[in-house]
Amino acid sequence: MPEIESLSDISRLISDIQHKKFTRSYDIALRTEELLQELISKGHWKSAKELMNLVKTRIQLVRENLPQEATAPNIMRHILKVIREEYQSASKKKDEGQSLHELVTSTPSNVLDYSDSLINLRSSILDHLTEYKVELESSSDNIAAQALEHIHTNEIILTVGKSNTVEKFLKRAAKDRIFNVIVVEGAPLYAGHTMAASLAKSNIQTTVIADSAVFAMMSRVNKVIIGTHTVLANGGLRAASGIHAVALAAKHYSVPVMVLSHMYKFCPIYVGSHNHEAFNVCASPANVIPYAFGPILDKIEVNNPVYDYVPPELVTLFISHQGGNSPSYVYRLLSELYHQDDYDI
Amino acid sequence: MDGAKVREFFCKIIREDEDVSVGVAAIRTLMEIIKHSKSETVQELETNLKDGINVMKNTDYPVTAINSGCELFLRFITLAALDTRCFSDCKKIMLDRGHLFIKKLDEARGKIVKLASKFIEDGSKVLTHSRSRVVLQALRKAHKQNKRFEVFVTISAPDNSGKQMCKELQAEGIPCTLILDSAVGYIMEQVHFIMVGAEGVVESGGIVNKVGSYTMAVCAKEMKKPFYVLTESFKFSRLFPLGQQDLPEEYKYTSSVRKNSDLKKVHPLVDYTPPAYITLLFTDLGILTPSAVSDELIKLYL
Repeated sequence: MPEIESLSDISRLISDIQHKKFTRSYDIALRTEELLQELISKGHWKSAKELMNLVKTRIQLVRENLPQEATAPNIMRHILKVIREEYQSASKKKDEGQSLHELVTSTPSNVLDYSDSLINLRSSILDHLTEYKVELESSSDNIAAQALEHIHTNEIILTVGKSNTVEKFLKRAAKDRIFNVIVVEGAPLYAGHTMAASLAKSNIQTTVIADSAVFAMMSRVNKVIIGTHTVLANGGLRAASGIHAVALAAKHYSVPVMVLSHMYKFCPIYVGSHNHEAFNVCASPANVIPYAFGPILDKIEVNNPVYDYVPPELVTLFISHQGGNSPSYVYRLLSELYHQDDYDI
Repeated sequence: MDGAKVREFFCKIIREDEDVSVGVAAIRTLMEIIKHSKSETVQELETNLKDGINVMKNTDYPVTAINSGCELFLRFITLAALDTRCFSDCKKIMLDRGHLFIKKLDEARGKIVKLASKFIEDGSKVLTHSRSRVVLQALRKAHKQNKRFEVFVTISAPDNSGKQMCKELQAEGIPCTLILDSAVGYIMEQVHFIMVGAEGVVESGGIVNKVGSYTMAVCAKEMKKPFYVLTESFKFSRLFPLGQQDLPEEYKYTSSVRKNSDLKKVHPLVDYTPPAYITLLFTDLGILTPSAVSDELIKLYL
């Protein structure tokens, strides 16, 4: 069956993610973009509608197999929007999406169905994607470039675990400013240790603390700067476990919490409640209690959740390559990134 | 159409169709006025419509919904008028677009119900206030999806509309408990979230709804329970109240009460819930945070 065969590209991506071949979301983002670029240039499609269906089946497949994965579907959603935009500019029809204005002004004649086959559509989409790829590649540099606006001399910055974006951000600031960084170690994976070692190599004053010491240290911290796994549609976070506690401590001492996030981490999906099964995953408990503990393992239950839900009230600012935005503005960023009909596929 | 006819047409829609909200009835009435209008200019037509609106406001139905629906409709007329030069074309466009407009209004509730029912999870306890058609349908839909949940409804004085809501839920087989308005604080610790409708949504993203909603929202915030509002987008209106005193009197009291009584001694029908207390708004435009409301209004009125 050709239908199944043609999905081999996305199946490979899914299995690579499952087998942790890509650990950084940036790698997943780039891989997804390349995958779609290939699909668009070599795939069999005649109209924008057919192409959009090809992309949508891929999104569905990823969401079925990896319900926690946000980066790959987000990249594909954005590309859907690119396709829509290019189709609209080529066919000179406009689709304003759902808005009050559209509700009032729409006429029966301008309903778009994306089914016309247009000659230059393929090349114009590919041009647009090339631009998009450059945007992806420069995203973390653009975020790092804003470091000096947020980090000032002699400040104490707290961060949790390891995030490549945060690392780059702090190192950029360290070129011009002298400041202290407190790294929360992030048990049970202790990614904070690697982070601290890397920061220290760049001559940043670095202190590592245990997760339990967060509250004690928070009173002297000027800013909390963290990365995140996903930004949810309400402005809340799905971030590494332990970050909710850090954010609450920061709230208690009125310390601003800044979240560095690439645009592809903004996810248009709401999580009804954070206890939802699809929200969290549990990693192997071996890191919490080693198997060597022996017989006691029969008598206890060990959980090792990977994520925390952090409500939007605890976040002060999101920093993306476009600049800073408050959580209440996330809905607007989403409407610029994706088409409303593609939010829930 | 003269005043009496408008009034009759408007009241007939509401009486005959239980499921139509007052705002939609008002918009349908205005469409009817356009159809029968013999005016030759846009200005004359607008005067006709405004007279019609006044007639509707003087019935004893809630003015909040009538007002926002009519406001949107007048904007619709202005935008249609800008698109053409001659009046006959304009009238044709208005009627064409009008049908689509009303069709979309009719679809709105279905969209909201679809969005909101996802938030009602198995085993949850929901608190709601008074009677709202869209909340009722959302609960019904969730029930049809075989979710087990429990609903608490406030009795909602002075008209005790909660009783009706409770009856309708029980008729569906949804476990439902009627509680006192004064028991909102008592019940709050047990429930998982609050779902209410709205008569109007103001520019700040706050809502105008049956009196008692504000109390419930304040309680919910204190106990950190999500406060969800289900509302159609035609209820968005360009009002920016800062407090309860800023709500127009016609919103708070029916026209007969306004004429005959000392307003200080009458209970208000609605109250204003500021946006800080609202978690999310479920609308036919999607799930919105309160701050998105002003965005939508600005796009329309710019």
